[in-house]
Amino acid sequence: MATKLAWRAVIVFIWWCVITTTTQAIWLDLPNSGTKCVSEDIHNNVVVLADYSVINNQEDSHLHPGATISVKVTSPYGNNLHHKENTTHGQFAFTTTESGNYLACFWVDGNHRPGDRLTVSLEWRVGIAAKDWESVAKKEKIEGVEFELTKLEGAVEAIHENLIYLKTREVEMRQVSEKTNARVAWFSIMSLGVCIGASALQVWYLKRFFHKKKLI
Amino acid sequence: METTMKAYAILGLLVLSNFAGDVSALSVTVNDVECVYEYVLYEGDTVSGNFVVVDHDIFWSSDHPGIDFIVSSPGGNVVQTMKGTSGEKFEFKAPQSGMYKFCFHNPYSTPETVSFYIHVGHIPNEHDLAKDEHLDPVNVKIAELREALESVTAEQKYLKARDARHRHTNESTHKRVIFYTIAEYILLAVASGLQVVYIRRLFSKSVAYNRV
Repeated sequence: MATKLAWRAVIVFIWWCVITTTTQAIWLDLPNSGTKCVSEDIHNNVVVLADYSVINNQEDSHLHPGATISVKVTSPYGNNLHHKENTTHGQFAFTTTESGNYLACFWVDGNHRPGDRLTVSLEWRVGIAAKDWESVAKKEKIEGVEFELTKLEGAVEAIHENLIYLKTREVEMRQVSEKTNARVAWFSIMSLGVCIGASALQVWYLKRFFHKKKLI
Repeated sequence: METTMKAYAILGLLVLSNFAGDVSALSVTVNDVECVYEYVLYEGDTVSGNFVVVDHDIFWSSDHPGIDFIVSSPGGNVVQTMKGTSGEKFEFKAPQSGMYKFCFHNPYSTPETVSFYIHVGHIPNEHDLAKDEHLDPVNVKIAELREALESVTAEQKYLKARDARHRHTNESTHKRVIFYTIAEYILLAVASGLQVVYIRRLFSKSVAYNRV
């Protein structure tokens, strides 16, 4: 009897774990008109996994049973990665091929009564957070403490890669800074030269003009 | 009896392995008020994160007046307030479990892009350990290690957002240097040309006759 109860508790808890793991997401309020966009600056060759669903507020779930949203995900160069209309939930996954700002936009479809508030739950995982640890555990046949430590090892490698990426970004920015610094010096001196040149040209031209007019 | 113990051991392990989640560093455009909600599972969890205002298209002044950041607990109380800041880290202990509201207020008319990162971390404490004898203290240490690594990742995301803002300012400076210098040269040439034309007109025949 106690065994059955214990196993039932385990199953309930597994279900609760799955539910709460998939709902560890942020919620966004969608305006009645217009779009709500979230974006992230992602570099090349990174896995992106996202899950979105419409949350029905308990108080007015009877008011808008047919509320649907539309989603559009675009890459930094404008390519359409995911586009869905009239939906209440969905997911998309892609590997980035361009480095830049990836935009995910949500808007409410026309068949929706104004005045109601729609909430969308979005779970957005990039890079190491998108890794499927369950399949790794099954493939390598590791479990328990070793599995947790493998996950930590993955996190440390991700930190290292991020540091290297930040370093390359800093190098690019430093080059732009130094170029700007050199250009400020050159252009200021050149502006002095242009000023002197323009006034010399003026004086020479006016002297020639007055000479021609026989005034001097 | 043995299977009951095994069941509770698996339950304990599941409790520890289900660490509370976090979200990637997302950017959102704040026109007036933008609110983001995140669920906190356990009371006493540490909620940490950071936010950086990325788009700073201020023409004249050097520092943006900033945006306001307000965190509300599920009971409606304000947990954290930061006013007039353009980027900040925050950390607090959740007084209760439930849905927390993180709001950005933009008091000015220009829309701002804010990049934010929120992490909810849970470390099993002695109360959880006491409840189940099969929980290893190793799992507590692993959870603490995981939280420490998450804090390093959070710092990296903050650095990345600050770097993006700095890069934006740098590129704007670079463009301004070139554009304004060339405009200055052209305007200088046009001004001196106009001066010469004016002086020529002063000494032209028609005017001279009128003077006489």
